[in-house]
Amino acid sequence: MSSIRNTYVLFLHISCILMSDRGHGSRIFSTTKSERLNMAQHRHTAAMKVIGALAVPTIAALALTGCSSSAGSTSSSNGSKEFSLSFATSNTIESPFQKLAEDYMKSHSDVKITFNPQPNDSYDQTLRTQLQAGNASDVVVTSPGSGTGRSILPLAEAGFLEPLDDAAKELLPEGSGSTFGHDGKVYGQATEITVAALVSNETAAEAAGGFPADFSSLQEQCKALESSGKSLFALAGAAPPNTGLMAMSLAASRVYAEDPKWNDKRAAKETTFAGSDGWKSALQAVNTLKDAGCFQKGAAGGGFDAITKGLAGGTSVSGFIPAPSWKQLESAAGGAKFAVRALPAESSSKSYVFASANYAFSINAASKNKDAAKAFLDWAAEPEQTKAFAEIDGALPVTGLDKYDFGSGAYKNVGDLIKDGKYGPLPNIQWPNSAVYDALATGVQGIITGQKSPDQVLQAMDAAWGQ
Amino acid sequence: MTATMQPKSEAAEAPRRGRRTPGAGQNARSRGRGLEFGHWWWALPGIALVFAIHYVATGIGGFFAFTNWTGIGSFKITGWANFEAIFKDPTKVGALSNTLFLAFGSVLLGNIAGLVIALGLNRVLKTRYILRTLFFMPVVLSPLATAYIWKYIFDFDGPLNAFLKAIGAGDQAKPWLADPQWAIWTVLVVLVWSSTGFAMVIFMAGLAGVPAEVEEAAAIDGANLWQRFRNVTLPAIRPAVAIATTLGIVQGLRVFDPIMALTGGGPAGATETLATQVYKQAFALGNFGGGAALALVLAAIILIFAVLQQRLTRSNPED
Repeated sequence: MSSIRNTYVLFLHISCILMSDRGHGSRIFSTTKSERLNMAQHRHTAAMKVIGALAVPTIAALALTGCSSSAGSTSSSNGSKEFSLSFATSNTIESPFQKLAEDYMKSHSDVKITFNPQPNDSYDQTLRTQLQAGNASDVVVTSPGSGTGRSILPLAEAGFLEPLDDAAKELLPEGSGSTFGHDGKVYGQATEITVAALVSNETAAEAAGGFPADFSSLQEQCKALESSGKSLFALAGAAPPNTGLMAMSLAASRVYAEDPKWNDKRAAKETTFAGSDGWKSALQAVNTLKDAGCFQKGAAGGGFDAITKGLAGGTSVSGFIPAPSWKQLESAAGGAKFAVRALPAESSSKSYVFASANYAFSINAASKNKDAAKAFLDWAAEPEQTKAFAEIDGALPVTGLDKYDFGSGAYKNVGDLIKDGKYGPLPNIQWPNSAVYDALATGVQGIITGQKSPDQVLQAMDAAWGQ
Repeated sequence: MTATMQPKSEAAEAPRRGRRTPGAGQNARSRGRGLEFGHWWWALPGIALVFAIHYVATGIGGFFAFTNWTGIGSFKITGWANFEAIFKDPTKVGALSNTLFLAFGSVLLGNIAGLVIALGLNRVLKTRYILRTLFFMPVVLSPLATAYIWKYIFDFDGPLNAFLKAIGAGDQAKPWLADPQWAIWTVLVVLVWSSTGFAMVIFMAGLAGVPAEVEEAAAIDGANLWQRFRNVTLPAIRPAVAIATTLGIVQGLRVFDPIMALTGGGPAGATETLATQVYKQAFALGNFGGGAALALVLAAIILIFAVLQQRLTRSNPED
């Protein structure tokens, strides 16, 4: 079976090579064609045969050189201080991964790192294809769990990732061990703690009379803001990841505050989405928010630009986006202050946020530069570097969270929740496949447009779980 | 009628080309040797590449339709399970009906619009060369790039809603691409816009072969505009109709990038087509087996409709 699979992967690889060499090939054909016409008049058929005979090996040679040059970049002798790093980029702001690696090169002048940035929306697929073809970077950025294409568990099970040593184990966030590996092995080194809640424009919130403290005052404020042509939330209704994040934020206080181990119960089939009152009330709350006018006008068709425009311009007070975005928004908005907040719960005792390591460094099992890659990971695991990385990205450091000074920074509003341990990993990290989150995210869009009921969405999530 | 309409030179030359008239034989043969140029085996690299890239790869991809492969790691052969899942899943059945709706809708409207424009720009009009270029432009432009422009036009804060508000129809303003009722029609508008130019060019090529004398003769005989179109022009451009509709159907059934850019299959699957589902299943959700099965279904549907379409619009044997 695996030989068939390898053949297919080989074909993908070959076709990619052939496609990239198509230009050379056609140039040869066009040369022979023009010469052919010329010679037709002079009837130099003997010369034509020579050219015809030469064309085939020339194309073959070109195709072969194409192969070797594309594979050449990753091959270097063992023990070298060179390695490559793949990470996803989604905007023009410099990637924190690249910044960290550049700092490493500055402090280790004999090290050379080749960067392979990939667009975020195609990163998962590119990573998987490259791992299978054996030409992935030495260090790749992955995600814990099994919910996405770049998730550690399926990649480790398929043998594409190298088990890491104690330095990585020490960085494991509490309770997240099972999402970084199995059988006592760890395949990813956490880079930072990302809070997934609300990012709010504090200047706009103050102008609206302060950020609401609980869910009922939130609805009141939605109505007040709506009548003044503004909105409490900016929602990218046409971008499923955003609707999904909103639904999970609603489920934080309704499901996971009471039962942080709810995902384990779902995995053990002790409960279902459709049978959970917490999840039902979370999705019904989507309708409540919609009816209260909490979203900007035309939210169902909004993209991520609706969030950046709304928050930076102050026409919307907050958005369901990963916390590190506060830093980028603050630099884009010029003047307005941004902060991270938990979505107000029905009662303050139920407040809960998601904070987990969503990105990790992993080493490609087929890497020829494992020593250089491991040295980089060990360096990145030092407290100084984890702190610096969190600062670059505007996230929380993966170590020393208990001693972290939340006092005056963007995280001051969620500091107490994190210190009291009222936080858990983003639920979809623990879900078995990405179809569950997709069912939630597209389903919530359906609730907003009136195509689907909360029950239908929850049933679709249960169906996707069993896939 | 059709016999008289064949352009004279073409009709007379055609049978002669096939036959070898004794007198002309010598001359033709020597000319043939002079032009005979190349050998069949020159095509071998091309054939090998087509075979390797198209047929072998498609065949192996087709094999995965019968497995539960996730895109990495090991897999099991699951038989027809992936196909059963497709026809049990309302999203995919919805995607199938959306695919057919968009394909036939865009072919019908695109061809009618293309024919009308081709007829209008066929002769007489002085600015016809500029207008032809303008109407053909959407075919040349990148479908992805133009889809983003359309997305902006249909955006809630976009020009269309601004126009509606300006003329006092502000209550009709809606997020066009996220409205469960309107999204699919909005997508259809974009598809028709992009396919019209292509149909127009094919019809124009067909119209170039319709001799003006025959039309004039019909006009002198008292045929009005509609009769001349129905009985003279349309039969003459029948091959063009066949080509334009067949290519349109094939193109319409596998349309992907405009939908991906406009709606991504949303809202909640309302504009999902088989092609966007194939992508989503295989590459976004890691269900490679399911995606491959869906791709096979799509290929089968395209094949069936292409053959059917060819049969329906095939010219009469006597033509």
